[in-house]
Amino acid sequence: MATVRASLSLNSADVLTSALALTTVANLNCDSGSLIRAKVKGTVADTDDLVVYKADDKNERAYLYIKNLEPELENYIYVRNETESNTALVAKIGGGEFAFIPLAPDKTYEAIATKVDSLIEFGVFGNDNSSVSLA
Amino acid sequence: MATTTATLTLSSADLTGDALSLSTTATLTKAGTATGLDQTTGVGRKTTTATSDVTLFAAADYTDDKGHKVYIKNTSTVATEYVLVKIGDMELGRLYAGDWAFFPWNADADSTPDADVIYAPSVSTALTVEYALIFEA
Repeated sequence: MATVRASLSLNSADVLTSALALTTVANLNCDSGSLIRAKVKGTVADTDDLVVYKADDKNERAYLYIKNLEPELENYIYVRNETESNTALVAKIGGGEFAFIPLAPDKTYEAIATKVDSLIEFGVFGNDNSSVSLA
Repeated sequence: MATTTATLTLSSADLTGDALSLSTTATLTKAGTATGLDQTTGVGRKTTTATSDVTLFAAADYTDDKGHKVYIKNTSTVATEYVLVKIGDMELGRLYAGDWAFFPWNADADSTPDADVIYAPSVSTALTVEYALIFEA
């Protein structure tokens, strides 16, 4: 079993009178995962969506890191829970923004974008289910 | 205008033969602009002693379709204890002991049900969640 160390720091000198300086770390027990950089072609649900996680690829728990690499804030990435419905929006991520989200391992997640061929970086980490192939 | 940054670091020396070492930072801005998010709940903690749903942030209390950002952490140290995080009635996933999540939230009040940020603890013994919302009007 491997460990993925996931750390988040939130900092601001002026969003509160008292400075915001939060750092948290989670050590995730995982045996599989990788980083992928890909383009999102689809701009409407169910047409050229990019699958970022296939249902049951991981057992029990899975964590998604996803970053929208587009330079324009208005060029959004929409992460959907495809298993639930076409309107099951998990996150709307602006250009330059990221998210780190636990996934329901038995659901499929897909991404569409405001702009054709939007570039994203993503990775899913967890414990592999050997019964499911990504192919 | 306030400036708030979020930095994510992912690292692993043993997941693959190629060490994972990722660090990325985003300045948290209002939807579609370079103006920083200027409101926050601050960092808070909530302790529950039941397994029923807890509404952490109600969509109706925030402006729809903005650039709000949510941080939530399960502070439990018991490995089997988790909180099931949901947006409205859609399961997002489980946060086990020490796990955290950070994600944009659109506070959609037009959906059915509202896109409230909800969590359900797995145990009825005391379980504490740490949270923060950075948002805009």
